[in-house]
Amino acid sequence: MADQTRTPVPMSTLISDHGSPPHDSSITHVTGKSEYVDDRPMLKGELHCGLVYSPYAHARVVRLDTAPALKIPGVICAVTGKDVAHNMWGSIFQDQPIIAADEVHYVGEVVAVIGAETKEALAKGLAAIVVEWGKLPDIRTISQAITAKSFIGSMRTISTGDVQSALASAPHQISGTLEIGGADHFYLESQAVVVYPKEDGQFEVHSSTQHPTETQHVVAEACGLRYSDVVCIAKRLGGAFGGKESQASPIAAYAALIAKRSGRPARLALSKDDDMIITGKRNPFQIEYRCGFDGKGKILALDAMLHSDGGAYADLSTAIMERALLHCDNAYSIANMRVRGQVCRTNFHPHTAFRGFGGPKGVAMIESIIEDIARIVGRDALDVRLLNCYNQNQDITHYGQRVEGNHLPSLFASLEKRCEYRKRREGIIAWNADCTSGNNRFVRGLSLTAVKFGISFTTRFLNQGNALVNLHRDGTAQVSTGAVEMGQGVNSRIATIVAQQLGLPLACVRIMPTSTEKNANTSPTAASTGTDINGAAALNACESICSRLASLAIQLRSIPAELWASKTAGLGTMPEIIVDETVGPSGTSEHRVKFVGSNVTVTDPSGAVFTIALAQLIREAYRNRISVSDYGYYSTPNLGFNKVDGKGKAFLYFTQGVAASEVELDSDTGEVKVRRVDILMDLGRPVNHALDMGQVMGGFIQGMGWLTTENLVYDNNGKLISHSPSTYKIPNVQDTPRVFNADLIFNEDNTQNIRGSKASGEPPLLLSISVWTAIRDAVMSARKNSVAGESQLVPLAIPATAERVLRGLSPEAFVIWDKQDTNGSGA
Amino acid sequence: MMRDFALIHLNGVRREIRGREALMMLAEWLRKEAGLSGTKIVCAEGDCGACTVLRSSCQPSAQPISQLSFEAMNSCIATVAQMDGTHIVTVEGMQCGDHLSPAQEAMRRCHASQCGYCTPGFVMAMSAMLERHDQADARTASNYLTGNLCRCTGYAPIIEAALTVRATETHSVARRYSDPQSIKDSVASTKLSMLVEYEGTKLFAPVSLREAVTFTSINPGTRVLGAATDIGVHVNKGKPLPTSLISLHLIPELYETKLTRSGVTFGSRVTLAEVRRVSEDVAPEFARFLNLFASPQIKNVATLVGNIANASPIGDTLPFLLIAGGEVHVASRQGAKGVVRKRKIPMTDLYVGYKKLSLEPGEIITHISFDRTGANDVMSLCKVTQRKDLDISAVSGAFSLTLKGRRGAGGKGKAAPNVVSARIAYGGVAATPVRMPEVELALCGELNQARIESVALLIAGSIKPISDVRGSASYRRVAAANLFRRFGNEVLHG
Repeated sequence: MADQTRTPVPMSTLISDHGSPPHDSSITHVTGKSEYVDDRPMLKGELHCGLVYSPYAHARVVRLDTAPALKIPGVICAVTGKDVAHNMWGSIFQDQPIIAADEVHYVGEVVAVIGAETKEALAKGLAAIVVEWGKLPDIRTISQAITAKSFIGSMRTISTGDVQSALASAPHQISGTLEIGGADHFYLESQAVVVYPKEDGQFEVHSSTQHPTETQHVVAEACGLRYSDVVCIAKRLGGAFGGKESQASPIAAYAALIAKRSGRPARLALSKDDDMIITGKRNPFQIEYRCGFDGKGKILALDAMLHSDGGAYADLSTAIMERALLHCDNAYSIANMRVRGQVCRTNFHPHTAFRGFGGPKGVAMIESIIEDIARIVGRDALDVRLLNCYNQNQDITHYGQRVEGNHLPSLFASLEKRCEYRKRREGIIAWNADCTSGNNRFVRGLSLTAVKFGISFTTRFLNQGNALVNLHRDGTAQVSTGAVEMGQGVNSRIATIVAQQLGLPLACVRIMPTSTEKNANTSPTAASTGTDINGAAALNACESICSRLASLAIQLRSIPAELWASKTAGLGTMPEIIVDETVGPSGTSEHRVKFVGSNVTVTDPSGAVFTIALAQLIREAYRNRISVSDYGYYSTPNLGFNKVDGKGKAFLYFTQGVAASEVELDSDTGEVKVRRVDILMDLGRPVNHALDMGQVMGGFIQGMGWLTTENLVYDNNGKLISHSPSTYKIPNVQDTPRVFNADLIFNEDNTQNIRGSKASGEPPLLLSISVWTAIRDAVMSARKNSVAGESQLVPLAIPATAERVLRGLSPEAFVIWDKQDTNGSGA
Repeated sequence: MMRDFALIHLNGVRREIRGREALMMLAEWLRKEAGLSGTKIVCAEGDCGACTVLRSSCQPSAQPISQLSFEAMNSCIATVAQMDGTHIVTVEGMQCGDHLSPAQEAMRRCHASQCGYCTPGFVMAMSAMLERHDQADARTASNYLTGNLCRCTGYAPIIEAALTVRATETHSVARRYSDPQSIKDSVASTKLSMLVEYEGTKLFAPVSLREAVTFTSINPGTRVLGAATDIGVHVNKGKPLPTSLISLHLIPELYETKLTRSGVTFGSRVTLAEVRRVSEDVAPEFARFLNLFASPQIKNVATLVGNIANASPIGDTLPFLLIAGGEVHVASRQGAKGVVRKRKIPMTDLYVGYKKLSLEPGEIITHISFDRTGANDVMSLCKVTQRKDLDISAVSGAFSLTLKGRRGAGGKGKAAPNVVSARIAYGGVAATPVRMPEVELALCGELNQARIESVALLIAGSIKPISDVRGSASYRRVAAANLFRRFGNEVLHG
């Protein structure tokens, strides 16, 4: 139910402690001993793999000859499309060849893989392969795709109320188009895999994958193996952010095909350039919208058509579009709303998951619309946000789910005060007035935006996880789940959950490398659900073990210690203790059992306490033939989103937050500086405060890069030319705002999720949209002051590069040169 | 006498590296040959810092050295052979027994590593900082870390680590690794020329200029390997190493800095870090500008001459050298007897086309000199980038005016400044960096708003930029004009 009666969270409960345990790999990280895939020593005979890929966006493969490469000493084998057992894969639709055979649909699409003994031989081999291409017409913009009706999947619609009549009767209307660019994940560890052929046709695959199960399946199918012949292991990833969810699998298949062909271990570690050219990005979007509102800025109707660039194959784009549609409301209640989405098929690398998964597109649109409304009705944008924010009377989303646990109004109110929004707004108005009079070339802007991010995979069946917990007789535990550690700290969180349940010090719990032989049929570590799903499964396993141990402890208290199995089992002089199935992890109503401080205590009705060390209890269990291992399973309850009618409970809960960003623009160059950021988020009751703060601040800065400096530029062949950090600029240390405040509110109300926590992976990224709206605020302030009369709504595409900002500030300066340079010498 | 190996000390252990291994990139060699996989390779072009290691300076010197001094460098874009005579310390060499080094401990304590892939690089960059500063302020900390990218943390906890870390005597890398015997060993080896060869590629390191020009005259097409911050990138991106290479790291005179009344001369081995230090006095605006230029890892090894020889149209130092009377000193062999012939080429005559220099075959650049900034000169160097730090410019501008009359008087009712002479150069607006004489002429005379505006438009119209990954041609024109407007207004209004 909605928290209508909740009192707002008082300021005094804000978390300030930094006593959280560090990341479980912190020591090996700082000493360089953490092992990543390409850090594995080369085995004798191991091959380096290299890829031959298309230089054209769309072409026929007229001729492909690998024979010249095979003549080069050290080049051992080559595989092409015809060597792939089942040459089709895809996470949602199977529409993508693993190795293209006759036709390529994007620059970077692989047509051949070779294996060589040395990198030098590999380079020579790759250069020797002969490919003749027959260029075909390509589609490289969303507009071209719309004209050609080049689509992936069908159009999706989610609607509520009567949009057309509400728009028609609204006192004010605006319409616009928003262009949103993609972004590269720029995980530091480029995609890598090592495949070891084992005895009897088995394969051991070490992959930097977020989805070991899918990688296992794709490798097996590509090589014509059974799933049971392939084990996929992902120990840790050097960052992923969605980029290794689907796209790690074909990479693994390339090395596996070489391993299969040669019978030797095979390694494929992409260079950053190849990784960026080959793999898909955040989907670019083009959004057209119409919005109706009243004189105070209350939104009455919103009609939006979202087109995304899916690239050449479906990948996850339809699910990404779905999440975009589900986040077009963001924090705001809109009575009449229709959002439609269509994925376009173009000739780019297949675009894919990236932190936020479509959500940021919907949120960018509505937050930008609100800034426009504020200018038209002459109010501060924050007041328009507060007016439209979900509240106890308006808490049903356009897809029909009630917004439960709504902290948005109090988050807005709290941050407004903490960041001194009103005072700073006045200061900025005064500063800009001075600026446009010519005394200062720096223009400033301020914006405070929100996020309400739905947690759960919108595809219901993905919301399941499993975990294996093994206790050992020295009182330590090993835990294996389907969760992949990629920096976010999922292993540390699960270890904390397990350690707390077992009453063990954190150091006694080890999280083992993720492997499909221990945890099969797992979901990708994605959608921010890693801890939610896998932590809950591990907890279930622990509870089963604890129930048996509780039953054992209750029985042991009435047996003299000298007759316990550790003393007698070898002789068989005592009967075995049988587990009472009715005992739970906390014992029974008569005998309360606690697992705490490496001990287990049983308190009987008289208050007498029996204590036994957990390690000893485990040994007694073993000798009584009671299992101290278990397999836990968890499926997220009460989900019911119907994709056909676009209605239902799509999410278990919402992670919420607000952020205020202040920026300064250089009106000579368009360069942007973020002066100050304040973030306040509701993450429930964090399992590890420090790790959550890491997600909040890191996610924000990552999003800021997408919105500002990260510019994907393609040449006339459709090849990415900003494919390395010299041309693709992710934020560096100097871009972190000088004033960067982040904090969490503390609440206990998210009881439906593991330990009352809330997922923190993706939501903070969406708060960085405040940087972009602040830039737009600054641009429009400058323009408003320079042109008399009505406010101007200046569109600003994402990313807001220095050039776009300068064009926004002084479009007139560009007019003559744009004309001259396009008519001129092909500049 | 000649050596066929590079001598290095790796985490305190003496290594002679020959042939194939000597011509490998250091990071690749560390990971695959030396078994030290803590050093990571991400971009392989010196832009991310994941491969950062510490290196002792290697200047061949007559004076005995008792203590080494370590600086950060990128190990991905330099060959092992170029490390000849130095001590290399990697992340594996930082712990004292089981004790984490201060940087390691600070990174852990502040939760400054998430995925961990950039972490060794940050540890090493921060350790380089601790070799010079017992503790750092915010500016120092971010300067030392500007060459390292992290995608997970948003940097906040890394900055916190850098601000709270304290150097300790026990963990000082200079103290731990300054073993007298190994220093003696290294210094002795610098007296011998080095030649390493593998499968038709040779790298020669002579101990004298005469040997050097002899080699370049008999081996046409020889490339000089300075810091290899450009050649190294090309090799990593699939181009073969040039077959004939020369490294000048054993020639003492090329490490010289000569200050005169009128200017300064730097040898070709003087690093940008050193050039920046010296320029603080000679050309303060250039020193300020070099702060925005490249990362410490690059500046510690890259040279000003390297930047000149690379001849990029957006080479950041070049517009300055064009307006500051820059001259390159070149040497070649004259006749078969091996006499060294020297001459000077003004910077304004050096560039003849895209990445093309007016050098004769066999000529190598030995020095660069430029003028002191005059007392009556106003100079400004600026660049436009997508990201403020460590980014290649879309446009860069260098302006210098010699003034009569007071600067900044224009707005205050006093006599407007009079421009006696002007020097203007731009990078990123043509195939080479350019001086703009016609614009300079138009700027002479009384400086006022109208003149600034007309010159700005003249600049925008006379440059010939292209559209590329860093911006459209129009953007470059508008920004180039705005850079000048800003400079002009600063001079006018103070």
